Amino acid sequence: MSAPSVSAGRRRLAPSAPRRRRDDRRVALLFIAPVLIGFAVFYLYPTIRGLWWSFTDYSLLGEPEFIGLQNYAEVVQDGEFWNSMGVTLYYVVFNVVSQTALALLLAALMHRLTRSVVLRTTLLIPWLVPNVTVGLIWLWLLDTNLGFVNHLITGMGFDAVGFFTNPALGIPTISLVNTWAFTGYTALLFYAGMLQIPNDIYESASLDGANEWRLFTRITLPLLRPIMALVLVVSLIGSFQIFDTVAVTTRGGPVNATRVIYYFIYQHAFNYFNMGYAAAMAIVLVVILGALTAIQLRLLRASESQLA
Amino acid sequence: MSLTTQVSPAPVAVGEERPAPPRRRERRPFSIGRVLGWVVLIVSLVLTLFPFYWMLKTALTPAADVIRNSSAFFPDNPTIINFARVLGFLSPDEDRAAGGSGASINFLLYLWNSVVYCGLIGFFQTLFCAMGGYAFARLKFPARNALFSVLIAALMVPGIFTLLPNFVLVRDLGLLDNLLGMVAPSLLMTPFAIFFMRQFFLNIPVDVEEAALLDGAGKARVFWRIALPMSKGPLITIGLITVVWAWKDFLWPLLIGRDESVRTVTVGLGVYLQQSPNTQPDWTGLMAGSTLSVIPVLILLVFLGRRIVESLNFTGIK
Amino acid sequence: MTRIRRVAAIAAAGALIAGASACSTGGGAESGVTLQYWMWDDTQVPAYQQCADQFHEENPEITIEISQAAWSQYWTNLTTQIAAGSAPDVWVDQASYYPQFVENNQIVDIQPFVEEDDIDLDQYVEGMADLWKVDDARYGLPKDWDTMGLVYNKAALQAAGVDEASLSELTWNPQDGGTFGELIAKLTVDTQGRNGLDPAFDKNNVAVYGFLPEWADGSQGQNGWGNLAHSNGWTYADKNPFPTEFNYDDPKLVETIDWLAGLSGQGYAPPLDAQSTLARSEVLTSGGGALTTLGSFNLAVYKDMTDEYGFAPLPIGPEGRKSAINGLSDAIYAGTKHKEEAWEWVKYLASADCQNIVAESGVVFPAIKEASEKAAQVREEQGLNTQPFLEQQKAEDGTFIIPISQNGTEINQIVQDAIQSVALGTQDAESALSAANEQVNALLE
Repeated sequence: MSAPSVSAGRRRLAPSAPRRRRDDRRVALLFIAPVLIGFAVFYLYPTIRGLWWSFTDYSLLGEPEFIGLQNYAEVVQDGEFWNSMGVTLYYVVFNVVSQTALALLLAALMHRLTRSVVLRTTLLIPWLVPNVTVGLIWLWLLDTNLGFVNHLITGMGFDAVGFFTNPALGIPTISLVNTWAFTGYTALLFYAGMLQIPNDIYESASLDGANEWRLFTRITLPLLRPIMALVLVVSLIGSFQIFDTVAVTTRGGPVNATRVIYYFIYQHAFNYFNMGYAAAMAIVLVVILGALTAIQLRLLRASESQLA
Repeated sequence: MSLTTQVSPAPVAVGEERPAPPRRRERRPFSIGRVLGWVVLIVSLVLTLFPFYWMLKTALTPAADVIRNSSAFFPDNPTIINFARVLGFLSPDEDRAAGGSGASINFLLYLWNSVVYCGLIGFFQTLFCAMGGYAFARLKFPARNALFSVLIAALMVPGIFTLLPNFVLVRDLGLLDNLLGMVAPSLLMTPFAIFFMRQFFLNIPVDVEEAALLDGAGKARVFWRIALPMSKGPLITIGLITVVWAWKDFLWPLLIGRDESVRTVTVGLGVYLQQSPNTQPDWTGLMAGSTLSVIPVLILLVFLGRRIVESLNFTGIK
Repeated sequence: MTRIRRVAAIAAAGALIAGASACSTGGGAESGVTLQYWMWDDTQVPAYQQCADQFHEENPEITIEISQAAWSQYWTNLTTQIAAGSAPDVWVDQASYYPQFVENNQIVDIQPFVEEDDIDLDQYVEGMADLWKVDDARYGLPKDWDTMGLVYNKAALQAAGVDEASLSELTWNPQDGGTFGELIAKLTVDTQGRNGLDPAFDKNNVAVYGFLPEWADGSQGQNGWGNLAHSNGWTYADKNPFPTEFNYDDPKLVETIDWLAGLSGQGYAPPLDAQSTLARSEVLTSGGGALTTLGSFNLAVYKDMTDEYGFAPLPIGPEGRKSAINGLSDAIYAGTKHKEEAWEWVKYLASADCQNIVAESGVVFPAIKEASEKAAQVREEQGLNTQPFLEQQKAEDGTFIIPISQNGTEINQIVQDAIQSVALGTQDAESALSAANEQVNALLE
């Protein structure tokens, strides 16, 4: 293996680059082979297969039959599809905002008040619990007749609240359940970011008489922007794929109040035997997610230049 | 943005042990704001933990009491019968008498399967993605960036989209009810892990590696001997995150690992949930099962809590 | 960014829907054939396990492995497995689901077997065998049947001063609700102890609801509106099975739904948006309601509570008393490697041998007439009054079958959405149902 390094060493002296590159190529191929195989077999191939299905009438049980763009034409006109997109968007906004705001608050409090590992570990527990369990626990806690929360509410003299059965409350409830499950985790990410901020900045600002709020808005928030941007991108894309909690709790109801896009696609694929149609909807979703990511990457880059 | 600030090769030093100016806050002994802050933190703690208490309380309640007296703060007649029946210590008939469907969980076997499942995925995915990430960060080869973009684009493909084709594929390979089939799709890579490792390698200084190259080491050798040992922190981080997600995985192992012999804990629970009586949910059994699914998490936290928390401290990435 | 890996966890909660169920690998597979048999009703597993054991004794070369998954996951599990080509050899089939299996050639036409083995189709309760007939083909033999009735809280009735016997003479119409509507009002009690007929009744503070309607009832209304609408002279479609046009926009259905939805408005039934996520039986037994509909398949829920709860027939509507009747069968997977053995098992399941065992368990009414009588006996011995359900099955023109149609699952969702939106008050019955009917009929084209 000495040849490449010799040429590397000579790099600045002689233009022997071509030879070196060829060697790099061999090593690189070895290094990326497992990853490439995994990608080709379990991402690319199924994606192509799904793409093909989107142009077919495929019942899942029979054979796909090519029907051109018909699925796409129907998706665009499908009121339920757009309703699902709307519901999902509502969830995404609600969830991302509540989760980010709460996590930021907790992180800032921890940062300024305590370094307790026990506290942080405890906050992390919900994140480690399987989603099915999370859904079940809250379904039980929030049940209209038997749930603990409604016992509290009726105990205070109010009417029982149908957290999962009132169409106006379904999405907020599911958002808050997931906020419960993920805030600890997000808070720790923010907290980690805050630890990177040198203490002296706070010290000197405090000496200048800045109060905690000013410290937060003038120091913490601006310096946290890169992490914040990343967290936002990730939770946004993640929230779009909300499925599990809905499936355990409301199953999309009542009527279509919580029928998020994943659930709708899932229904068409596995319950209605419209795999082709489901595939077409998934493609439309990919396109939308792609556009969103592109926008966000731009935001990320913007925040990067800010830091620099 | 630069990830250097978050991705430090020496994670432990970044988190807890950063020497804070001693007792700085002692100088401001009391303020309403601080009290309020503590109140918020304590309320959050309570909100975090209370659902688990309620889960446990329900699990310890006899099925008959749960409907008649669902608001009691403590179980009137605490019982472990729900755990006993979930774990299959009761006969199906006794189980039905206690409000279940007759199903049970072979918990220890499932736990072992989960450990193997998470272990294999955690180890190999981390290793392969470290190699891949290194190649994309440091090695030069044609179409490198294009290839990387394509890999990353896979992040956006909804999982529901690849689920069924993958299922059919694994079946065609004859790997149903086989641990290999279960781990296959995530054994080699996930786009995220590659992205993560590449970001990391991009941000560590090139000097050490350059020096090694000058000393005549090959690129592969540099990776194994220098880059990899330097990356202990990120490797553990991504490994832990991978393991946690593998632990939470449900649908895929459920579809592929239907057989008892390869069933994981979450699948075991899921199947148990599925067998819930049709007439009314078996709440006490479900909560006993849920409690069982949380116990490994708590054990993990007791032993690795600090490590997990600290590794998150320097990722800055989900 | 691991959140994105939820990709893998996606339907994680598919926990509850997707996914396959357990194929318990009991002891080592003996030489011979092992058949996978799927069912959804946990309460029936013990009886069918007995059948399976008995069957194995008689046919030592065939072993039956029973897997059970609850209704809400069952069909998804099944279709996923069918799609993957690894479905169970035999599964319990339901009338509104089997057309799609037929359409995709996924289940075996057993007519040749039936003829060859000379199965007596007259031994079954009337109409049950024909449910599974499509033209000249046959896709199942009946295993059981069920009809609908009412279940009530005896103490609530007593408190309201209502004689239990009078419940068998209840009348209903969509205009004023008849004596059924009156009973519901009487059984409703507010937190001050005033019942629904009291002028001072406070509909915003109800302690016990007079009636618990089922709003998640697909396109069939088997557990509620379907029965009332039929007793009002409505029918699902131009013909059944395999309709070409549905009647969901019919005024007779519209007024039925209006009446039912009105119960919530009057405080006699829990509003849908504050309804429990629990089953109606659970609400009833926890004291939140006094009366609801009950399928004979769920009788066993009240097995140990016969002192507290009683059963009665459905009310008599303008066109008489009508109950949905439904039955199940066993389907053979077209992709099975053991078609002959599967048929042996299906034949056994539909025989008196197995159905008598099932009858002993007293959980359902087997399809064979004698076995059915036997099941009734067993239940009477348990103190369960099965007469309302039996009589309904035997009554002339007393029953109707639920719709059997292509696209059944999608139609379920569309009609259920429409009816729920009426119950929630977001749409009026007429426009919701006519829109749904258009959608549904478009699917049939």
